[in-house]
Amino acid sequence: MTKTLMNRIVLTAALAIAYVGVPLLLGGNAYVLGLIVAALTIAGVAVAWALLGNLGGMVSFGHAAFFGVGSYTSAVLAMKLGVPVFAAMLLGGVGAAVSSIAMLPALRLRGPYFALAILAYAHIFQILATEMTAVTGGAGGLLSIPRFPTLLGFEFGEKLGGYLIVLTIVVLAAFAYDAIRRSTWGLALKAMHDTEVATRVVGVPSTHLKAAMLVLSAFITGVVGAFNAHFISFLDPDYAFSSGWTVLPIAAAIFGGYRTVWGPVVGALAIYLVDQLLFKPILPHGHQMILGVLLCAMILFSPGGLMPALRRRPVKENRHAHA
Amino acid sequence: MLTLEGVQVNFGGVQALKSASFSVAEGESIGLVGPNGAGKTTLFNVISGVVRPTAGRLDFRGTSLLKLPEWKRARLGIGRSFQIPRPFGHCTVRENLLVAQRFGAGKKDPKRIDEILDILNLRDKADRDATTELALTEHKALEVGKALATEPSLLLLDEVLAGLETSSKRAFMERLAAVRDRYRLAMVIIEHDIATIAALCPRVLVLNFGQIIADGSPDAVFRDPEVIRSYTGETTLAEAS
Repeated sequence: MTKTLMNRIVLTAALAIAYVGVPLLLGGNAYVLGLIVAALTIAGVAVAWALLGNLGGMVSFGHAAFFGVGSYTSAVLAMKLGVPVFAAMLLGGVGAAVSSIAMLPALRLRGPYFALAILAYAHIFQILATEMTAVTGGAGGLLSIPRFPTLLGFEFGEKLGGYLIVLTIVVLAAFAYDAIRRSTWGLALKAMHDTEVATRVVGVPSTHLKAAMLVLSAFITGVVGAFNAHFISFLDPDYAFSSGWTVLPIAAAIFGGYRTVWGPVVGALAIYLVDQLLFKPILPHGHQMILGVLLCAMILFSPGGLMPALRRRPVKENRHAHA
Repeated sequence: MLTLEGVQVNFGGVQALKSASFSVAEGESIGLVGPNGAGKTTLFNVISGVVRPTAGRLDFRGTSLLKLPEWKRARLGIGRSFQIPRPFGHCTVRENLLVAQRFGAGKKDPKRIDEILDILNLRDKADRDATTELALTEHKALEVGKALATEPSLLLLDEVLAGLETSSKRAFMERLAAVRDRYRLAMVIIEHDIATIAALCPRVLVLNFGQIIADGSPDAVFRDPEVIRSYTGETTLAEAS
C-alpha cells in the first residue's frame, strides 16, 4: 500500500469519525462537546498560524488581532445591520483579512522583528475595540450576539450544530493549506525560507506571496473568531483580543507539528482535551503547568511535533515531505 | 539589448561602482574580470535588481530597469547565478527548476526542465535534495539551471567555475558553451581564470575600483598595461581614491 493511499484512508476514517462518530457518541454530552468545540476553535487558529509560519516563513504573535477583528466584525454586522449570521461570519473573515492589510509593511521585517511588529498591531486593534464604544460597546462589550440559525430543521445554534460548523471551518482551512502547499506557490514559498533573494531573481514575487499568506491566514482566523462570537453570544475586547488566542494556537501547532497540515489540529485537540479532561480534575489550580512540561518535552524529544513522531519519521529524514 | 550609462553605487561612504557604462548586444558573450573588490558582483546585483544604483541609467531592450524589482527583471529575460550557490531549501533539484520556470518563464514545461537537466548533467540528481545532496559542481550547475529555467535572453554568471578542479572546469565550460549556443543567449561571465574567459568570450571588460578600465578582445585587454597594473596591485593612492 502506498503512503498516499494510506494517508487518504486515515484521513477518510478520521473525517467519518468526526462527522458521524462524534455526533452519535457525544451528541448528548454537552460538556465534552463544548470542550471539543473549544479545541477546534483553537485548532482553526492554529492551522491559520501554521499556514503563515510554515508556508510564509513568518512567526506571528498577533493572531489574536485577526480573531478579535473577525469576531467583532461579524457580531456588529449581525446585530446592527441584520446581516444573516452565516454571511456575517464570512464577512468577519473578510474584515480580518482587510485588517491584515494594515500589517503588510511589517512583511519587510524578518524573524523576531516581524513577530514584535505584528504583536504591536494586535494591541492597536484591541485599543480600537475598547475606544470605539458606539460600535463595539467599548470595554463592556457586546451581549446577546445572534446565535447560528436553525436551517432545514437542524439547530446550528446548539452545541452539536456549533461543533459541525467549526469542524467544517477547520477541515476547509486544512484542505486549503494542503492545496497551497502542494501547488507551485507552495513550492516557491518553501523555497523562499532560506534564500528569499535567490527566489526573487528567478521571478518569484516573494513579498506578494507572503502578503497573500498573511491575508489568507487572517481570513481563516477571522472566520474562526466570528464563529466563536456567535457560538458563545458574547464579546468584550479583553476576551476577543486575549493573548490566549495567540499562545494556545502556537502551542497547539508546535505540539502537533506545524510543518504538517493536520499537526495543528491534532495538537489542539490533544493539548486542550487532555488538559481539560485529565489534568484539570487532578490539579484544578495549575494544571497548565503539566501542559507546559509536556510541550517542553515534545520540543526536546520530537522537535517536529506529534504528527512526525506518530509516523516514526525523524524530521531530518523527512525533509522532502515538509512544506 | 542591455545598456548601462554612468551607473554608480554607494554603500554609505564606500563607492562600489563609480561610473560604469557599457552595453551588451543580443547573443554576445562577455567576460567580466577584475581584482577582488573591484565591483563585479555589485554590477550584477545592479543589473538583476538586488541593489539599486545611486545614479545612472539602466535599460534592457528599451525598458528602463531602474524602478523594476528583481522578479520583474527576471520575467523580462535577465537570469543570474550567485557566486555562492543558493539552492532553494528543502526542495529537490527538479523543484528548484520548476519554481524558476513557473515564476520566471510563466509556464510549466517538463520537457524543457528535462532538457536543462540533461545539458547540465543533472538528470540523475533530479530528485535529490538540492541543499544537502549535491557536490560543488552540481550546485554550480543548478545555479545555471535555475537561471536557464526562467528562459532568459541575458545570462549573468557570477564565478560559476570558481573552486572547480581543472577537469571539472573544462567540462563545465563545454556545458556553458553548449547552453549559450543552444538557447542563443547573451552572457556576461565573471571569472578570474583568464584562459577560461579567453576560450568563452570574444569580448572582455575589466573592472577596477568600480570603474571599467578596459573593454576589448581578450588578447588586447590582457596586454593592456593598466589591466596588468590593476592585477599586480601597482595602483597609486590617487587612482584608488
